[in-house]
Amino acid sequence: MEEKPSKVSLKSSDRHDSDKESVHSDIRDLWTRTTLSQAQLNMPLSEVCEGFNAEGRSISKTRRWYSPGSRSLDEGDKASHKPEELDEHALVELELHRGSSMEINLGEKDTASQIQAEKSSSMSSLNIAKHTPHRAYWAEQQSRLPLPLMELIKNEALEILTKALRSYQSGIGRDHFLTKELQRYIEGLKKRPSKRLYVN
Amino acid sequence: MRLKEGSFLWYLYLDKIHCLLSVRNVKALAEYFHILDVHGKNTLNDVLFYHFLHHVTDLKKAQIYLVFDMLDWNAVGEIGFEQFYMLVCMLLAHQDHLEGQFMYRHSRPVFDLLDLNGDGQISAENFGKYRFLFNIHKQELKDLFHDFGLTGDNLLNYQEFKLYTIIYADKLQRRQKTEEKEKGDRKRSLYSKRKCHIK
Repeated sequence: MEEKPSKVSLKSSDRHDSDKESVHSDIRDLWTRTTLSQAQLNMPLSEVCEGFNAEGRSISKTRRWYSPGSRSLDEGDKASHKPEELDEHALVELELHRGSSMEINLGEKDTASQIQAEKSSSMSSLNIAKHTPHRAYWAEQQSRLPLPLMELIKNEALEILTKALRSYQSGIGRDHFLTKELQRYIEGLKKRPSKRLYVN
Repeated sequence: MRLKEGSFLWYLYLDKIHCLLSVRNVKALAEYFHILDVHGKNTLNDVLFYHFLHHVTDLKKAQIYLVFDMLDWNAVGEIGFEQFYMLVCMLLAHQDHLEGQFMYRHSRPVFDLLDLNGDGQISAENFGKYRFLFNIHKQELKDLFHDFGLTGDNLLNYQEFKLYTIIYADKLQRRQKTEEKEKGDRKRSLYSKRKCHIK
Protein backbone atom coordinates (compact mmCIF):
# COMPACT_ATOMS: atom_id res chain seq x y z
CA MET A 1 0.00 0.00 0.00
CA GLU A 2 2.89 2.36 0.71
CA GLU A 3 4.16 4.41 -2.21
CA LYS A 4 6.92 6.96 -2.34
CA PRO A 5 5.47 10.45 -2.24
CA SER A 6 7.81 11.52 -5.03
CA LYS A 7 5.89 9.29 -7.42
CA VAL A 8 2.53 10.72 -6.44
CA SER A 9 2.60 13.90 -8.43
CA LEU A 10 3.91 12.10 -11.49
CA LYS A 11 1.50 9.17 -11.38
CA SER A 12 -1.56 11.14 -10.47
CA SER A 13 -0.89 13.48 -13.34
CA ASP A 14 -1.88 10.70 -15.77
CA ARG A 15 -5.23 12.39 -16.05
CA HIS A 16 -3.48 15.60 -16.92
CA ASP A 17 -1.21 13.99 -19.50
CA SER A 18 -4.10 13.10 -21.70
CA ASP A 19 -4.97 16.74 -22.34
CA LYS A 20 -4.68 18.32 -25.73
CA GLU A 21 -2.45 21.35 -26.21
CA SER A 22 -4.35 24.31 -24.86
CA VAL A 23 -4.07 27.31 -22.60
CA HIS A 24 -5.16 25.07 -19.73
CA SER A 25 -2.15 22.83 -20.29
CA ASP A 26 0.03 25.84 -19.43
CA ILE A 27 -1.90 26.32 -16.21
CA ARG A 28 -1.52 22.64 -15.44
CA ASP A 29 2.21 22.71 -16.06
CA LEU A 30 2.71 25.80 -13.98
CA TRP A 31 0.54 24.68 -11.11
CA THR A 32 0.79 20.96 -10.64
CA ARG A 33 4.40 20.55 -11.75
CA THR A 34 5.93 23.78 -10.57
CA THR A 35 7.94 22.09 -7.84
CA LEU A 36 9.35 19.57 -10.30
CA SER A 37 10.76 22.31 -12.46
CA GLN A 38 12.69 24.03 -9.74
CA ALA A 39 16.40 23.53 -9.37
CA GLN A 40 16.52 22.92 -5.65
CA LEU A 41 13.68 20.52 -4.98
CA ASN A 42 14.66 19.30 -1.57
CA MET A 43 15.60 22.61 -0.07
CA PRO A 44 13.08 23.69 2.57
CA LEU A 45 11.59 27.10 2.02
CA SER A 46 13.01 28.31 5.33
CA GLU A 47 16.52 27.66 4.10
CA VAL A 48 15.88 29.48 0.87
CA CYS A 49 14.39 32.45 2.68
CA GLU A 50 16.79 32.69 5.61
CA GLY A 51 19.29 34.82 3.79
CA PHE A 52 16.75 37.28 2.46
CA ASN A 53 14.43 39.83 3.94
CA ALA A 54 10.95 40.66 2.62
CA GLU A 55 12.39 42.79 -0.18
CA GLY A 56 14.59 40.01 -1.40
CA ARG A 57 17.80 41.64 -0.18
CA SER A 58 20.46 39.53 1.38
CA ILE A 59 20.81 40.00 5.09
CA SER A 60 23.39 37.36 5.75
CA LYS A 61 26.54 38.72 7.34
CA THR A 62 28.49 35.53 7.06
CA ARG A 63 28.34 35.32 3.34
CA ARG A 64 31.06 37.41 1.80
CA TRP A 65 30.95 37.63 -1.95
CA TYR A 66 33.63 40.25 -2.05
CA SER A 67 36.15 41.51 0.47
CA PRO A 68 37.67 44.94 -0.05
CA GLY A 69 41.29 44.92 -1.07
CA SER A 70 41.31 41.43 -2.38
CA ARG A 71 40.26 40.22 -5.73
CA SER A 72 39.67 36.69 -6.59
CA LEU A 73 39.45 37.55 -10.23
CA ASP A 74 41.47 39.73 -12.52
CA GLU A 75 39.17 42.53 -13.58
CA GLY A 76 41.05 43.20 -16.79
CA ASP A 77 40.58 39.69 -18.04
CA LYS A 78 36.94 39.68 -17.12
CA ALA A 79 36.17 43.05 -18.68
CA SER A 80 37.31 41.77 -22.04
CA HIS A 81 34.90 38.85 -21.93
CA LYS A 82 31.28 39.00 -22.92
CA PRO A 83 28.90 38.48 -19.94
CA GLU A 84 27.56 35.27 -21.42
CA GLU A 85 30.99 33.71 -21.30
CA LEU A 86 31.43 34.35 -17.60
CA ASP A 87 30.00 32.16 -14.94
CA GLU A 88 27.75 33.53 -12.20
CA HIS A 89 30.46 34.03 -9.62
CA ALA A 90 32.68 35.90 -12.03
CA LEU A 91 29.84 38.16 -13.08
CA VAL A 92 29.06 39.01 -9.48
CA GLU A 93 32.69 39.71 -8.71
CA LEU A 94 33.01 41.97 -11.70
CA GLU A 95 29.87 43.92 -11.00
CA LEU A 96 30.68 44.35 -7.35
CA HIS A 97 34.12 45.61 -8.12
CA ARG A 98 32.74 48.12 -10.60
CA GLY A 99 30.10 49.18 -8.10
CA SER A 100 32.52 49.61 -5.26
CA SER A 101 34.97 51.57 -7.36
CA MET A 102 32.30 54.21 -7.94
CA GLU A 103 31.80 54.76 -4.23
CA ILE A 104 33.22 58.04 -2.95
CA ASN A 105 33.24 57.43 0.75
CA LEU A 106 33.42 53.99 2.17
CA GLY A 107 34.30 55.17 5.64
CA GLU A 108 36.28 53.44 8.29
CA LYS A 109 33.34 51.66 9.84
CA ASP A 110 32.71 48.03 9.24
CA THR A 111 31.37 48.30 5.70
CA ALA A 112 30.41 44.68 5.48
CA SER A 113 26.71 45.40 5.92
CA GLN A 114 26.88 48.30 3.45
CA ILE A 115 28.70 46.16 0.96
CA GLN A 116 26.12 43.41 1.49
CA ALA A 117 23.34 45.88 0.63
CA GLU A 118 25.29 47.02 -2.44
CA LYS A 119 25.87 43.46 -3.43
CA SER A 120 22.23 42.51 -3.23
CA SER A 121 21.16 45.52 -5.28
CA SER A 122 23.93 44.83 -7.76
CA MET A 123 22.93 41.25 -7.97
CA SER A 124 19.35 42.13 -8.74
CA SER A 125 20.44 44.36 -11.61
CA LEU A 126 22.46 41.65 -13.28
CA ASN A 127 21.18 39.25 -15.85
CA ILE A 128 22.20 36.32 -13.71
CA ALA A 129 18.61 35.10 -13.88
CA LYS A 130 19.34 34.15 -17.45
CA HIS A 131 21.87 31.65 -16.24
CA THR A 132 20.87 30.85 -12.65
CA PRO A 133 17.49 31.66 -11.08
CA HIS A 134 17.71 34.08 -8.17
CA ARG A 135 16.89 32.42 -4.89
CA ALA A 136 14.61 35.19 -3.73
CA TYR A 137 12.72 34.92 -7.02
CA TRP A 138 12.11 31.24 -6.50
CA ALA A 139 11.19 31.80 -2.87
CA GLU A 140 8.60 34.28 -4.01
CA GLN A 141 7.35 32.00 -6.76
CA GLN A 142 6.86 29.22 -4.24
CA SER A 143 4.46 31.34 -2.22
CA ARG A 144 2.24 32.59 -5.05
CA LEU A 145 -0.41 31.00 -7.17
CA PRO A 146 0.05 31.32 -10.90
CA LEU A 147 -2.04 34.01 -12.54
CA PRO A 148 -3.66 31.66 -15.08
CA LEU A 149 -5.01 29.64 -12.17
CA MET A 150 -6.54 32.74 -10.61
CA GLU A 151 -8.15 33.56 -13.94
CA LEU A 152 -9.55 30.05 -14.16
CA ILE A 153 -10.99 30.29 -10.63
CA LYS A 154 -12.53 33.67 -11.33
CA ASN A 155 -14.07 32.70 -14.68
CA GLU A 156 -15.50 29.48 -13.32
CA ALA A 157 -16.94 31.27 -10.29
CA LEU A 158 -18.55 33.81 -12.60
CA GLU A 159 -20.25 31.09 -14.60
CA ILE A 160 -21.55 29.40 -11.46
CA LEU A 161 -22.76 32.62 -9.89
CA THR A 162 -24.48 33.79 -13.07
CA LYS A 163 -26.55 30.60 -13.10
CA ALA A 164 -27.20 30.99 -9.38
CA LEU A 165 -28.47 34.51 -10.04
CA ARG A 166 -31.12 33.16 -12.39
CA SER A 167 -32.23 30.74 -9.69
CA TYR A 168 -32.38 33.58 -7.16
CA GLN A 169 -34.45 35.70 -9.56
CA SER A 170 -36.90 32.92 -10.28
CA GLY A 171 -36.98 31.63 -6.70
CA ILE A 172 -37.08 34.72 -4.50
CA GLY A 173 -37.64 37.48 -7.05
CA ARG A 174 -35.51 40.21 -8.59
CA ASP A 175 -36.22 42.70 -5.82
CA HIS A 176 -35.07 40.52 -2.95
CA PHE A 177 -32.00 41.90 -1.20
CA LEU A 178 -30.10 38.64 -1.65
CA THR A 179 -30.69 38.76 -5.40
CA LYS A 180 -29.48 42.34 -5.58
CA GLU A 181 -26.48 41.48 -3.45
CA LEU A 182 -25.56 38.64 -5.78
CA GLN A 183 -26.03 40.84 -8.82
CA ARG A 184 -23.75 43.53 -7.40
CA TYR A 185 -21.20 40.89 -6.45
CA ILE A 186 -21.12 39.47 -9.97
CA GLU A 187 -20.66 42.91 -11.47
CA GLY A 188 -17.88 43.64 -9.03
CA LEU A 189 -16.20 40.35 -9.80
CA LYS A 190 -16.27 41.06 -13.53
CA LYS A 191 -14.62 44.42 -13.05
CA ARG A 192 -12.07 43.18 -10.55
CA PRO A 193 -8.63 42.56 -12.09
CA SER A 194 -7.10 39.22 -11.21
CA LYS A 195 -4.63 39.49 -8.38
CA ARG A 196 -2.23 36.81 -7.39
CA LEU A 197 -2.90 35.12 -4.13
CA TYR A 198 -0.09 34.75 -1.67
CA VAL A 199 0.22 31.32 -0.17
CA ASN A 200 2.00 31.66 3.16
CA MET B 1 -19.79 10.53 -11.25
CA ARG B 2 -17.16 12.50 -13.14
CA LEU B 3 -15.48 15.83 -12.71
CA LYS B 4 -15.88 18.20 -15.62
CA GLU B 5 -12.67 18.31 -17.64
CA GLY B 6 -10.97 21.68 -17.48
CA SER B 7 -12.78 22.79 -14.33
CA PHE B 8 -10.72 24.09 -11.43
CA LEU B 9 -11.15 20.93 -9.37
CA TRP B 10 -9.98 18.86 -12.28
CA TYR B 11 -6.51 20.32 -11.82
CA LEU B 12 -6.26 19.36 -8.17
CA TYR B 13 -5.13 15.98 -6.95
CA LEU B 14 -4.93 14.06 -3.71
CA ASP B 15 -1.84 12.64 -2.14
CA LYS B 16 -2.18 8.92 -2.91
CA ILE B 17 -1.18 7.76 0.54
CA HIS B 18 -2.99 10.16 2.85
CA CYS B 19 -5.75 11.09 0.41
CA LEU B 20 -5.58 14.75 1.31
CA LEU B 21 -4.80 17.92 -0.59
CA SER B 22 -1.46 19.66 -0.27
CA VAL B 23 -1.34 22.96 1.60
CA ARG B 24 -0.97 24.87 -1.65
CA ASN B 25 -4.00 23.13 -3.11
CA VAL B 26 -5.97 23.88 0.03
CA LYS B 27 -5.06 27.54 -0.25
CA ALA B 28 -6.25 27.63 -3.84
CA LEU B 29 -9.44 25.82 -2.86
CA ALA B 30 -9.99 28.30 -0.03
CA GLU B 31 -9.70 31.15 -2.50
CA TYR B 32 -12.21 29.41 -4.78
CA PHE B 33 -14.61 28.94 -1.87
CA HIS B 34 -14.14 32.53 -0.81
CA ILE B 35 -15.07 33.78 -4.29
CA LEU B 36 -18.22 31.64 -4.27
CA ASP B 37 -19.13 32.95 -0.81
CA VAL B 38 -21.28 35.71 -2.21
CA HIS B 39 -22.95 36.82 1.01
CA GLY B 40 -19.77 36.98 3.06
CA LYS B 41 -20.76 34.35 5.61
CA ASN B 42 -17.98 31.84 4.89
CA THR B 43 -20.68 29.43 3.75
CA LEU B 44 -22.49 28.32 0.63
CA ASN B 45 -26.25 28.07 0.74
CA ASP B 46 -28.14 25.29 -1.06
CA VAL B 47 -28.59 27.27 -4.30
CA LEU B 48 -24.92 28.19 -4.61
CA PHE B 49 -23.93 24.66 -3.64
CA TYR B 50 -26.26 23.16 -6.22
CA HIS B 51 -24.93 25.31 -9.05
CA PHE B 52 -21.33 24.67 -8.02
CA LEU B 53 -21.74 20.90 -7.99
CA HIS B 54 -23.86 20.94 -11.11
CA HIS B 55 -21.15 22.90 -12.90
CA VAL B 56 -18.19 20.75 -11.91
CA THR B 57 -19.71 17.24 -11.97
CA ASP B 58 -22.30 15.24 -13.89
CA LEU B 59 -24.40 14.54 -10.80
CA LYS B 60 -28.18 14.78 -11.07
CA LYS B 61 -30.26 17.26 -9.09
CA ALA B 62 -31.51 14.63 -6.64
CA GLN B 63 -27.99 13.40 -6.00
CA ILE B 64 -26.70 16.94 -5.44
CA TYR B 65 -29.37 17.63 -2.83
CA LEU B 66 -28.63 14.32 -1.16
CA VAL B 67 -24.98 15.33 -0.89
CA PHE B 68 -25.98 18.71 0.48
CA ASP B 69 -28.15 17.10 3.17
CA MET B 70 -25.31 14.77 4.07
CA LEU B 71 -22.78 17.59 4.42
CA ASP B 72 -25.11 19.94 6.23
CA TRP B 73 -24.53 17.99 9.40
CA ASN B 74 -25.63 20.88 11.61
CA ALA B 75 -28.84 21.31 9.61
CA VAL B 76 -28.31 25.04 9.19
CA GLY B 77 -28.97 25.04 5.46
CA GLU B 78 -25.42 26.09 4.62
CA ILE B 79 -22.08 24.42 3.94
CA GLY B 80 -18.89 25.69 5.52
CA PHE B 81 -15.37 25.32 4.20
CA GLU B 82 -14.71 22.21 6.28
CA GLN B 83 -17.57 20.34 4.63
CA PHE B 84 -16.62 21.78 1.25
CA TYR B 85 -13.08 20.48 1.65
CA MET B 86 -14.38 17.04 2.62
CA LEU B 87 -16.58 16.98 -0.47
CA VAL B 88 -13.74 17.98 -2.77
CA CYS B 89 -11.56 15.22 -1.34
CA MET B 90 -14.33 12.69 -1.97
CA LEU B 91 -14.79 13.91 -5.54
CA LEU B 92 -11.08 13.75 -6.22
CA ALA B 93 -10.79 10.32 -4.60
CA HIS B 94 -13.54 9.10 -6.91
CA GLN B 95 -11.92 10.70 -9.93
CA ASP B 96 -8.50 9.22 -9.18
CA HIS B 97 -9.87 5.77 -8.25
CA LEU B 98 -8.78 6.16 -4.64
CA GLU B 99 -12.18 5.52 -3.06
CA GLY B 100 -10.99 2.50 -1.12
CA GLN B 101 -7.87 4.22 0.13
CA PHE B 102 -9.89 7.31 1.02
CA MET B 103 -12.44 5.36 3.05
CA TYR B 104 -9.66 3.46 4.79
CA ARG B 105 -7.67 6.58 5.65
CA HIS B 106 -10.67 8.65 6.72
CA SER B 107 -12.99 5.95 7.98
CA ARG B 108 -14.19 7.95 10.97
CA PRO B 109 -15.32 11.10 9.13
CA VAL B 110 -16.85 9.01 6.34
CA PHE B 111 -18.71 6.90 8.89
CA ASP B 112 -19.97 10.02 10.65
CA LEU B 113 -21.18 11.43 7.34
CA LEU B 114 -23.08 8.26 6.45
CA ASP B 115 -24.52 7.94 9.96
CA LEU B 116 -27.31 10.34 9.08
CA ASN B 117 -29.30 10.06 12.27
CA GLY B 118 -26.28 10.05 14.58
CA ASP B 119 -27.03 6.78 16.32
CA GLY B 120 -23.60 5.34 15.72
CA GLN B 121 -24.78 2.95 13.01
CA ILE B 122 -25.15 3.02 9.25
CA SER B 123 -28.19 1.38 7.74
CA ALA B 124 -28.07 -0.43 4.41
CA GLU B 125 -30.69 1.95 3.06
CA ASN B 126 -28.69 5.05 3.88
CA PHE B 127 -25.44 3.63 2.63
CA GLY B 128 -27.25 2.65 -0.56
CA LYS B 129 -28.27 6.27 -1.16
CA TYR B 130 -24.66 7.43 -1.11
CA ARG B 131 -22.84 4.52 -2.72
CA PHE B 132 -22.43 6.60 -5.92
CA LEU B 133 -19.92 8.76 -4.04
CA PHE B 134 -17.66 5.82 -3.35
CA ASN B 135 -18.24 3.84 -6.54
CA ILE B 136 -19.73 0.86 -4.69
CA HIS B 137 -21.95 -1.40 -6.77
CA LYS B 138 -25.33 -2.61 -5.51
CA GLN B 139 -24.17 -6.20 -5.15
CA GLU B 140 -20.99 -5.12 -3.37
CA LEU B 141 -23.12 -3.23 -0.86
CA LYS B 142 -25.27 -6.32 -0.23
CA ASP B 143 -22.14 -8.41 0.27
CA LEU B 144 -20.76 -5.76 2.61
CA PHE B 145 -23.70 -5.98 4.99
CA HIS B 146 -23.78 -9.73 4.69
CA ASP B 147 -20.06 -10.21 5.40
CA PHE B 148 -19.36 -7.42 7.85
CA GLY B 149 -22.70 -6.80 9.57
CA LEU B 150 -21.81 -9.29 12.31
CA THR B 151 -24.78 -8.38 14.45
CA GLY B 152 -27.05 -9.41 11.58
CA ASP B 153 -29.42 -6.48 11.86
CA ASN B 154 -28.52 -4.85 8.54
CA LEU B 155 -26.66 -2.13 10.41
CA LEU B 156 -22.96 -1.38 10.55
CA ASN B 157 -21.28 0.04 13.63
CA TYR B 158 -17.93 1.78 13.34
CA GLN B 159 -15.77 -1.29 14.02
CA GLU B 160 -17.53 -3.29 11.34
CA PHE B 161 -17.25 -0.39 8.93
CA LYS B 162 -13.54 0.02 9.66
CA LEU B 163 -12.93 -3.67 9.03
CA TYR B 164 -14.79 -3.37 5.76
CA THR B 165 -12.65 -0.39 4.63
CA ILE B 166 -9.43 -2.32 5.33
CA ILE B 167 -10.48 -5.29 3.27
CA TYR B 168 -12.14 -3.21 0.56
CA ALA B 169 -9.04 -1.06 0.09
CA ASP B 170 -6.92 -4.18 -0.17
CA LYS B 171 -9.32 -5.77 -2.64
CA LEU B 172 -9.42 -2.64 -4.79
CA GLN B 173 -5.65 -2.43 -4.83
CA ARG B 174 -5.35 -6.04 -5.96
CA ARG B 175 -8.01 -5.48 -8.59
CA GLN B 176 -6.20 -2.44 -9.92
CA LYS B 177 -2.90 -4.30 -10.03
CA THR B 178 -4.53 -7.17 -11.93
CA GLU B 179 -6.08 -4.74 -14.38
CA GLU B 180 -2.78 -2.99 -14.90
CA LYS B 181 -1.02 -6.31 -15.41
CA GLU B 182 -3.64 -7.40 -17.96
CA LYS B 183 -3.29 -4.07 -19.72
CA GLY B 184 0.46 -4.49 -19.87
CA ASP B 185 0.14 -8.07 -21.16
CA ARG B 186 -2.27 -6.96 -23.85
CA LYS B 187 0.07 -4.19 -24.97
CA ARG B 188 3.01 -6.57 -25.07
CA SER B 189 1.12 -9.16 -27.08
CA LEU B 190 -0.07 -6.47 -29.49
CA TYR B 191 3.47 -5.20 -29.88
CA SER B 192 4.88 -8.69 -30.49
CA LYS B 193 2.12 -9.37 -33.04
CA ARG B 194 2.99 -6.20 -34.90
CA LYS B 195 6.65 -7.10 -34.83
CA CYS B 196 5.94 -10.52 -36.32
CA HIS B 197 3.69 -8.94 -38.93
CA ILE B 198 6.38 -6.47 -40.01
CA LYS B 199 8.95 -9.27 -40.34
